[in-house]
Amino acid sequence: MAKVSGASVKTIVVACEAGMGSSVMVAKMLAKQLKPQGITVTHSPVNQLATTEHDIVLCHRGLSGRAKQAVPDSVVIAFDMFLGDLIIARLVSALQEGQDISDD
Amino acid sequence: MANFIPTMDSGQKGWRASLQKFGGNLAGMVIPNIGAFIAWGLLTALFIPTGWLPNEDLAQMVGPMIVNLLPILIAYTGGRLVHGQRGSVIASIATVGVIVGTDVPMFLGAMIIGPLAAWVLKQIDKALDPKVPAGFEMLVSNFSLGISGLLLAILGYWGIGPAVNGITDVLGSGIKVLVDAGLLPLVSILIEPAKVLFLNNAINFGVLAPLGVIDVQTAGKSIMFMIESNPGPGLGLLLAFWLAGPKALRGSAPGAIIIHFLGGIHEIYFPYVLLKPQTIIAMIAGGATGVAVFLATGVGLVATPSPGSIFAWMAMTPPGDHLGVLLGIFMAAAVSFTVAFFILRLSKDDATASDLAGAKAKSSEMKTGETQ
Repeated sequence: MAKVSGASVKTIVVACEAGMGSSVMVAKMLAKQLKPQGITVTHSPVNQLATTEHDIVLCHRGLSGRAKQAVPDSVVIAFDMFLGDLIIARLVSALQEGQDISDD
Repeated sequence: MANFIPTMDSGQKGWRASLQKFGGNLAGMVIPNIGAFIAWGLLTALFIPTGWLPNEDLAQMVGPMIVNLLPILIAYTGGRLVHGQRGSVIASIATVGVIVGTDVPMFLGAMIIGPLAAWVLKQIDKALDPKVPAGFEMLVSNFSLGISGLLLAILGYWGIGPAVNGITDVLGSGIKVLVDAGLLPLVSILIEPAKVLFLNNAINFGVLAPLGVIDVQTAGKSIMFMIESNPGPGLGLLLAFWLAGPKALRGSAPGAIIIHFLGGIHEIYFPYVLLKPQTIIAMIAGGATGVAVFLATGVGLVATPSPGSIFAWMAMTPPGDHLGVLLGIFMAAAVSFTVAFFILRLSKDDATASDLAGAKAKSSEMKTGETQ
């Protein structure tokens, strides 16, 4: 399973089907929270992940199989809710504290 | 070390992932071009004889845009996904063959020949690249694209155009039978569950929108644009979750309502349905009610409203149809709210916070297609 050190993360990409709707919304909310860490949050369609620069991929669980297929070596974190998901909150605090992050 | 729930690798081979991927590719050709659809939709709503400001001169743009511009843009985008800029160019050339071969807007044809042409060129480039002598690269690459583009345009004219025309005729007459028999609301039984499995864009842009634009050419509006994108059922569902849902989900519902209904991002309600799969019944009932009201009042939209926000819907409604459209949206919301409210109330006993985790795991299993 892929693993990355929280302290070394520079870019997170949020993926959705079209890369224009829900991913943009989640990316915007996350960017605000991670600004102090100097982490860039971008968005992308799930089928173009391979050509998008990133350290961590974040997407809805319904698309995580395809995300993992597109970038098998990346950390792919799946969330369930677009608003107020604990998994996203945990990712943010892991990044703030520089913990290791893995998707297993 | 922070622990995260695994991403269910086994799901990537499931039928759902492949279907999603196929649908995602269809939608991926259309969605970047939505701006052009909106320009065409507004142009149609304003200047056709039954529009807000009928104008014969400006209305001349309506035909060329829908017949030529939009299919070429779709093919161009599809070609780019397969083989970059060269893929875009050959896809556009080949699509012209499909377009002039028929008299209906060739969206499906463009979605087929665009990626196909780009793929053919990719194979040709792969075969030629190692053999081209230094200094001849530009000559070879220009003529290989030009000649294969010409051949593919001819293939489109003789082969793909007529074939897609046949398919469109069959689909179109199938839907006409449903409409005439008053059975169109039944398609919600298929569409609502597919939607929450993230096939929403594939259905709307891959299937319904191409059928809708054909209606618009003859009738000036179409109900096809309203079947998947109606924001009413999702609004009702989220309201029910806000008032009667599991405590852990109530807090996020008001924010989700704004994002869904005003912002048009329907994906935001899918997780609520996936966590409480019984509520799909509410979505089907709401969706079918909406379609039934649109059908009964004879309303339509002039282009696909994207995103599916109440504002996009109002902008795409032709003169005189606003009342029926609003009625359909609110009836759909009322029905899905009522059904979802009762489902949530009845299942309250087994919906305590501790069960939520179990429900989550179960629905994610289902979602990734692991159990298939």
